[in-house]
Amino acid sequence: MASDGAADAVDAGAEAIQAHTTSLVAWDIPSAIVAGDRFRIAVGIKCANECNLTNGAFGIYDHEGAQVATGTVSGDRWPGTTGLYVAEVELVAPAKEGLYTWSAKTPALDVGVPHAEGAVSFGVRIVSPPEYVVTVETVDRASQAPLAGARVVMHPYKAVTDERGVARVRVAKGAYRLFVSQTRYLTFGVPVEVTRDMTTRAELDVEPVRERN
Amino acid sequence: MAKKRDGQQNDRKLRDGKAVSRRDFVKKGAAAGVGAGAAVLSTSGTALAQVSPADAVKWHYEADIVVIGAGCTGLPAAIRARDLGVSVIVVDQNFDIGGKMLHSGGQVSFGGGDPLQLRDIRGERDPEGFVTAPRLHTVEELTEDPDFLFRDHTDWSVMDTAAQAPYRYNERDLHRAYADNCSAARAFLMANYVRFGRISGTHGNGGMSRARRAVTFLMEGATTDIKRGTVSRQDAGIRGVSSSHFAPRFMEDGAKVASPGARINGAALSRGLEFAAREKGVRFILNRHMDEIVREQQFSGRVVGIRASYSPRFDPATGARLESLWQNGNIDDRTETIYIRARKAIVIGAGGHGANPQFRSMFYPAWREPAFVSSGWALLGPRGQDASGIIAGMRVGANLAGMQQNLSYGSTFHFPGTLATRDPYTDMLPGHPTFSMRGSTGIPLGTDSFQHLIVVNQVGKRFFNELLVTTREGGAAFPAGPGKGQPKSGLDHVQLDWRNASVANVRATYAEPSSIHAALAMNEGSKAPDFLSGPVWAIFDRAAVERDKWNINPPFTSPTNGFFFSADTIEELAAKIQKGHEFQRVPLAYLAETVARWNSYVDSNRDPEFGRGPDAPMHRIEKPPFYAASLYPVWHDSYGGLRINGRAQVIDMQGEPIPGLYAGGESSGGGNQHGLGRALVHGYIAGSNAAGEPTGTR
Repeated sequence: MASDGAADAVDAGAEAIQAHTTSLVAWDIPSAIVAGDRFRIAVGIKCANECNLTNGAFGIYDHEGAQVATGTVSGDRWPGTTGLYVAEVELVAPAKEGLYTWSAKTPALDVGVPHAEGAVSFGVRIVSPPEYVVTVETVDRASQAPLAGARVVMHPYKAVTDERGVARVRVAKGAYRLFVSQTRYLTFGVPVEVTRDMTTRAELDVEPVRERN
Repeated sequence: MAKKRDGQQNDRKLRDGKAVSRRDFVKKGAAAGVGAGAAVLSTSGTALAQVSPADAVKWHYEADIVVIGAGCTGLPAAIRARDLGVSVIVVDQNFDIGGKMLHSGGQVSFGGGDPLQLRDIRGERDPEGFVTAPRLHTVEELTEDPDFLFRDHTDWSVMDTAAQAPYRYNERDLHRAYADNCSAARAFLMANYVRFGRISGTHGNGGMSRARRAVTFLMEGATTDIKRGTVSRQDAGIRGVSSSHFAPRFMEDGAKVASPGARINGAALSRGLEFAAREKGVRFILNRHMDEIVREQQFSGRVVGIRASYSPRFDPATGARLESLWQNGNIDDRTETIYIRARKAIVIGAGGHGANPQFRSMFYPAWREPAFVSSGWALLGPRGQDASGIIAGMRVGANLAGMQQNLSYGSTFHFPGTLATRDPYTDMLPGHPTFSMRGSTGIPLGTDSFQHLIVVNQVGKRFFNELLVTTREGGAAFPAGPGKGQPKSGLDHVQLDWRNASVANVRATYAEPSSIHAALAMNEGSKAPDFLSGPVWAIFDRAAVERDKWNINPPFTSPTNGFFFSADTIEELAAKIQKGHEFQRVPLAYLAETVARWNSYVDSNRDPEFGRGPDAPMHRIEKPPFYAASLYPVWHDSYGGLRINGRAQVIDMQGEPIPGLYAGGESSGGGNQHGLGRALVHGYIAGSNAAGEPTGTR
């Protein structure tokens, strides 16, 4: 790991330098992961003092504390950040359904400048293979025009409507609240019981703009 | 001690230097005239002298009528007085004309069978032919008379969804006069370059029974020409890009109420009236803050004039003094303190108290928080809406009225829902001279978009369901119905009916949203003596911005004004807020924990703290960069002020008019109708009566 050019070298007689705080961020974790499937997440490491963390190592640990993957961050900083060095890592989902807490950790490092350990926890929801397809047709209620790019959520499953306003969500059998949202519209929500493939229609209303008089 | 930073250094220097010296006005022997018991009430910013003795004042200017404030009370008062043949000087603390009216939406509710209702009933167009849109209401919804309007405005029985009674406490004489003068006021405005579109609805607390509201407009044209009724595209504003000196807010499309090419908002009203005022010879002294009303004796005799101090504003970048759009009729006097004699009368149209934390804390101590401002804060500057008109009246013995009515309109103070700007009510874009004072337009979000973020208090804890944070009671007004608090809907609503106020009806319709109160509540960061609640922050991530397609770039945000931050991690975000926001007095110690807990609620699809989940999806906050944008509440309306009668005369503690003193709009109290209509009619009445006052001899 390269250290920041302005960082101080530790010298035998000098006072111990306080370790830099290291933070980890994990994102793009899929909301519903089929048991046993492979999935990818993004991991970023940040030094509070903006040190260059190229090749910084981290490990991914499952809900039982076992290390399930390792990775190293590249020299690329995540867009929009000043010092978050990133890596993508591939993981394998556990075999059993459930909501698990996994973590990413980076060990304490001392390469000229000490860096403290860092860790972040994240939820990993494992589902059984979804059996059914729910087709959602989404329109603007007033004009009946299809809405492309509308976001469909049947927690933990998600989909986005295509240019015809249609989304296909693969879900397990069960009871859901179906939400369809689109920018500048009120969210459409209905309870749905899924026992077979089905089609449903979502008519969205434009959110009234509140007057500022 | 609450942090304060006055960005306008010159203003502050000038303000600090304005302590009035007694040698400015005391002649030999006059010192004895200043009573030892003279009460002194503090106005924001000025060091006060004792009450100026009327017989010792050296007047710098004089006019028949002195009007304080060039807004929606002052301008009609001034024009009306000129029409009746008297001379008028208008003073305004700001550098430009229009007050809060200039940045309003331009919606004006009158009624009682006013000319606009009659025009629409007949399906007629306006004389200039601009209004080609069809009538928007039925004939019955537009048909009424002044008695009907008066009953609506004094209806004891009407309850709103917050279980408030917005018409019960209205001053009766005042509203009788209001009802009797709406027609004349509407006609007066239309005769003074104001164009109205079709009637559409009614303002909050403007009456349950009829449609009374219309918006003002100008037609987009090659140039701005008030006589022709046109505004240039540049002056009207370019959507998402620019406002202008002419119109500090983008003028919206008015095709539905007028015709294609109509541009609507308060600039059409304000600039039209200003044009008329200047054309008719009203004189303006801008950059001039009224500090004191001079009365013959402090609590007796006539009012004879005002003392006013120089209150310029300067561009922070260039140091140049800000100037009004038009100058004909301006008196540019840069003397520190001047006295202006009012030979007949003074009209107080100085606006309300929304920007005075000490005054507004009378209604709600949590609003002593200096961070929170009133709408139009950048446009009007630090001396705007400072309660100075009300305080000046109180100093000469005026009574107050309607002091509880701030609580019977849901927009008095609320969360507009715009992020990343100190004044979230107005959406000024670059192009207006005061844009640099706010630095950002703000990110406007609808209620539904709040599903993509969490809202935290000054220590970083959530305090309410985010989807309900901007919900507010909208005021009980036409059309009636359970959604507004009435048992019957539309034209079936019955005036003065006990069933409107029955316990059963209130129980069935009650829907008071309490998010604003949760936001203003004390938290771990609130410290003695004021226990201020501090700023409120919207926290979100890059995924929210991409998902809901927000524009978080300048001018909607500013990288430097301290109301928007971006960071690589949540911990870093908390540190940036504390360092960069002038009112963040404590660390957001819980922010990282709050975000982690929120993400766990999203994963389990349940929010045990604040009940998110049933109404919209929940989204993790996990993708960097992370953002914090201020979510400030605003004090927008101002109800409660000087008591006035139906002649707009200010009434003293004995119930008697203070001779020569008039007031209206937000400087007055006893009325609860939101918006411009109230003030415009007050101004019309005040100008009409002030012109008929006898000429004083002092």
